[in-house]
Amino acid sequence: MWETIIIQPMTNVLLWIYDLLGHGPHMFGLAIILFTVLIRAVTWPLNAQQVKGAQAMQELQNDKDWQEIQKKYAKDREKLAQEQMRVYKEKGINPFGSCLPTLIQFPIIIGLYQSIIRALSTTPLGMLQLSRTVYPFLSVESIIPLNSKFLWMNLGSPESIQIFGFALPTLAVIVALTTYVQSKLTMPASTNPNDQSAAMSGMMSIYMPLLLGWFALNFASGISVYFITSNLLGIAQYAATGRANWRNLLPGGKKQPAPGRKK
Amino acid sequence: MNTKKLLLFPLLVLAALTLSACGSGNVVNNWPGLAVDAENAYVASGSIIYAVDLKNGREVWHYPDKADNALHYYANPVLTPDGQLLIGSAGTEHPLASLDPATGRENWAEPFIGAKSTWIAPPLVMNDKIYAPNADGFLYILELDGTFVDSIELGGALWSAPVTDGKLIYVASLDHHLHVVDPVNLQSFSSADLGGALPGGASANTDGAYVGTFASKMEFVDANGNYRTLSQAAGWIWGAPVLDGGTLYYADLEGNVYSLDLASGKQNWEGVKPDGPIAASPLVIGDQIYVTTEAGSLVALDRDGKNIWERTVGGKIYTTPVYSGELILVAPYQAEFMLAALDTDGKQAWTFTPEK
Repeated sequence: MWETIIIQPMTNVLLWIYDLLGHGPHMFGLAIILFTVLIRAVTWPLNAQQVKGAQAMQELQNDKDWQEIQKKYAKDREKLAQEQMRVYKEKGINPFGSCLPTLIQFPIIIGLYQSIIRALSTTPLGMLQLSRTVYPFLSVESIIPLNSKFLWMNLGSPESIQIFGFALPTLAVIVALTTYVQSKLTMPASTNPNDQSAAMSGMMSIYMPLLLGWFALNFASGISVYFITSNLLGIAQYAATGRANWRNLLPGGKKQPAPGRKK
Repeated sequence: MNTKKLLLFPLLVLAALTLSACGSGNVVNNWPGLAVDAENAYVASGSIIYAVDLKNGREVWHYPDKADNALHYYANPVLTPDGQLLIGSAGTEHPLASLDPATGRENWAEPFIGAKSTWIAPPLVMNDKIYAPNADGFLYILELDGTFVDSIELGGALWSAPVTDGKLIYVASLDHHLHVVDPVNLQSFSSADLGGALPGGASANTDGAYVGTFASKMEFVDANGNYRTLSQAAGWIWGAPVLDGGTLYYADLEGNVYSLDLASGKQNWEGVKPDGPIAASPLVIGDQIYVTTEAGSLVALDRDGKNIWERTVGGKIYTTPVYSGELILVAPYQAEFMLAALDTDGKQAWTFTPEK
């Protein structure tokens, strides 16, 4: 099931793009970037939903009803939670809407990772698996094995740059940084210290960069190319809405309200 | 920090571990390598190489004493004329070592560690030299005592055993070329691009070499590197063809078995298709052709392609079977046992399972 609906299509799309690009050196990296753009385009509505949800959460902080129930039930957490849920429901807001797209990325990450490893198979068994993964109509036998070089990286192995004898994981750092920037920009600003969803988003903005940075450190660098491209596209997409709060990136800038929507 | 916040971190760590399990990581995994002499069978499987007594299927020795996660063996071990057993590692460390086939002890003072990548191909021993193709695209030349002589960059990953016509050495590569090396002056040249990778190796005679490709073609490459297509197959060809007189036997990943008459260029039969994809080379003994399938079967065919008998051995069989003089040895992948011995009538003599 997973193989048929995730791995096989992803691997074939990657191979197809790689073939279109001329399957020379560096082209598999470019294929991953284009594939990421494709994934971003397909998940555009989901990400737009996230942006919309984050905006709604921001606006909710200034809502009088919302502020009143915060004061009224400040000492009754159970009741406060009930009232918050009621308001969420009334206003059609999903409190986890900003986290959901990030979590939905996980199956894509797993699938892409497995597809990259499959496409760049370095063992006979891997090559045998690849031979039955490719769709017959693609006629990709002429491009196999793939060229795994991209810039200074081998896309099938974890990346590091040797400087003065030290292996510096540059991609892992870039992955962590871009993930941090993306999650900070999309995080709804909140002046309310009791806002649970904002607190959760705040924690996610710390843990997700660490988690994805750890993946980049330990797994094939092709997946890091995906992370970085995806993060940059996410930042661009959010910035294009005019809601990006760049002050969120600065220490102490967290409580600055986001700018209004440009009309 | 409240409980929910505290819970988030372990949840993410759990997600990380789950994802790690989902990925294949750098775990080296492959089907076993197999060789045989008059006394023992030698199975290279994972971190251990086993010598198995042909008489009773019991372990004679294993190497190394303790499994080392950095070492993984799955190339076919090679027995040399001077009584060595050569085997290279495809793990994160990749020494090429020489063992005593009788005891499993190391022969050389130090294994050869000069290659940049893994040993998936078995070496060729010719004129008192070892010609060892590596996945780094180089053919390494060593003395029989393991001393490095020279290396030639051929290109692509070299996954299959070199073959020789007695003068030249033919090395199949994943770069779509069959490389030809003159061992006298160490000059090399290549065939044109054959349209697909050559993972399984070639078969040579005095005219040149025969090799199957991922372009589903059986090609002939002469001693000057010129090639001509002999036949089109239904699927990708993995295993090296077997040359028996004027007939070339081979199979494809669609599960078809072919018998090509080289004089006429015509297939001797059509539609011989056992029960699964075939990655191994056929084994020809007398008038019988034995093929192994991914479905775990050993199938005996006669020269007309007629099925004589078929046995379910178990697991998935990708390793080319070998013949000891009395027994056919089959090393399945993911089976309950590591090695099975059958006679030429398909009757199972014994199986070997390593002690835990």
